Amino acid sequence: MTQSPRKSSSGRLSASFIARVGLMAALALIFSYVEAIIPYNPGIPGIKLGIANVVTVVALYKFGAKDAAAVSVIRVVLAGLLFNGLFGMLYSLAGAVLSLAGMIGLKKTGLFSVTGVSMAAGVLHNLGQLLVAAALIEDLRIFFYFPVLMFSGIAAGILVGVISALMLRALR
Amino acid sequence: MKQFIKKADIILFIVLVAVGLAASAALSMSRMDAGDGAKVIIESGGSLYATYPLAEDRVVIVPAPKQGKVDAPAPDPDKPASEQYDYYNVVTISGGKVSVTEASCKNQVCVKHGTISMTGETIVCLPNRLVVRIESKGGGYDSVTS
Repeated sequence: MTQSPRKSSSGRLSASFIARVGLMAALALIFSYVEAIIPYNPGIPGIKLGIANVVTVVALYKFGAKDAAAVSVIRVVLAGLLFNGLFGMLYSLAGAVLSLAGMIGLKKTGLFSVTGVSMAAGVLHNLGQLLVAAALIEDLRIFFYFPVLMFSGIAAGILVGVISALMLRALR
Repeated sequence: MKQFIKKADIILFIVLVAVGLAASAALSMSRMDAGDGAKVIIESGGSLYATYPLAEDRVVIVPAPKQGKVDAPAPDPDKPASEQYDYYNVVTISGGKVSVTEASCKNQVCVKHGTISMTGETIVCLPNRLVVRIESKGGGYDSVTS
């Protein structure tokens, strides 16, 4: 890793880390906003592209796991407060944490490309949301929704992954 | 980033698709039974009209809101709906399945929709603003997944 250390000698977060994460979180938030105002409705609740995750994926590959986690959590909390409401935030947070863990793990194996990692993240994101939904309504029958979210997660994840890969190529 | 797609990606993709297909196959085989205590919810004109247990057979006449008269008489289950109202639907619950068996509207979409028996399934009649849906006793999932 060639970046500056994320923590200064005093153990506090470095200024460059804070600035970088702030910038990327703002960018991701704009993506969330754009997605929230585009009036498209696929007819099935819970399905969207999640274009803001491009920023998370790029952060992961360009700067590392800590940056990606910070950007993702900040973005989800802010977007939750601004557009999606508290329940939406809870779903997104579960999805974000699960997909982050999956992405970091899969990236470490070194076997997968950006697209593959993102595809897994898309599926895990939806799975996290489904788990929260099942916990909230205390009814596992909601898992009849699983295949739909599985396929939409694959599709959205691949799309986000391809865009991220192109971004990373351009940023190199 | 040397490669756009690696071999492991394709394997992962196939595994994920296979899991998704297997899950949907398993679900459609088990038909996602609505379970004990499932309710049939009938909404008319945007508000709740009636709730019945899915397990009990019955025929329900639902006058449509545009029937107009505030003091429209309550439906008489022994007389044909068409003799009582100009705008109506007839909802039939039978053997754990729900269908709209009669409708005053022209398009008859709700009648052609067939039967529903699983949690979350709905039949809608837009002209009469009727929604029939099945909920498990845990409540509707669709109110929280949006």
